[in-house]
Amino acid sequence: MITKLSHTSLFVTDQQKAYEFYVNTIGFKVNTDVTMENGFRWLTLTPPDQPDLEIAILAPLHGGMHYTEEVTNAFKTLLENNALGAGVLYTPNCHATYEELKAKGVQFKSAPKEQFYGIEAIITYGCGNWFSMTEPKTM
Amino acid sequence: MPNPADIYERIVNAKVYIDKNLDEALDLGCIARQANFSPYHFHRLFTNIYHKTPHQYLTYKRLQKAKELLEKEGISITEVCNTVGFESLGSFSTLFKKDSGDAPLYYRNIAYLKKKLAKEQPKRFIPHCFVETYNL
Repeated sequence: MITKLSHTSLFVTDQQKAYEFYVNTIGFKVNTDVTMENGFRWLTLTPPDQPDLEIAILAPLHGGMHYTEEVTNAFKTLLENNALGAGVLYTPNCHATYEELKAKGVQFKSAPKEQFYGIEAIITYGCGNWFSMTEPKTM
Repeated sequence: MPNPADIYERIVNAKVYIDKNLDEALDLGCIARQANFSPYHFHRLFTNIYHKTPHQYLTYKRLQKAKELLEKEGISITEVCNTVGFESLGSFSTLFKKDSGDAPLYYRNIAYLKKKLAKEQPKRFIPHCFVETYNL
């Protein structure tokens, strides 16, 4: 029986920059932040109301990785082009959160827009990926 | 009648005011003034936007901040209680336990142990698939 998602990974170009964004700007919590002897930093964050979902913020270009050069380069290309859609962040009100985050300097690829699913804005934060910030439609 | 963008901006201002003044004795009138609405209208708009009443939001943020402080060293439970604006240790402990399932002291002890263990045995906190991928 599988009951929930406990860990997921998010590749970023810069772990510290991602930390600043997730923790200091949008209010995620640090679950574990430890640096190993070989310099690998295990940094996991949790959304404010999901304390048991750990998002591992990973630097894919870390030297010790078992990926081939070809795979590493592919990651690099995807991240450099902000091509990775990382997920959907829930908000109770997309317009209000957009106003608040914009005032904090967060970059948006698109402003809140009514979509079939709900109201959605797209956030980028300069770490190689982007997020949808969505207020789902009520039934 | 203010336009929707203006309403959002004013309600967000009040929300940010709550975020920044958790330690103060905030009441509805004082928070509503930050948005320049009457308490009645403010309460209705805020609840509509955030799906929490201003008071529920204030308590939610205070408890979040309390958790953050309890995970740090060198600050007593009473100091945490005062820093996040609860008036009595009793009501703080009761609300904290109701929210997180643990008493503040227990929460602090577990956080301390986890930090210590993560430093001493980091691999206990890293699923093996990551250990293998990153050759740790």
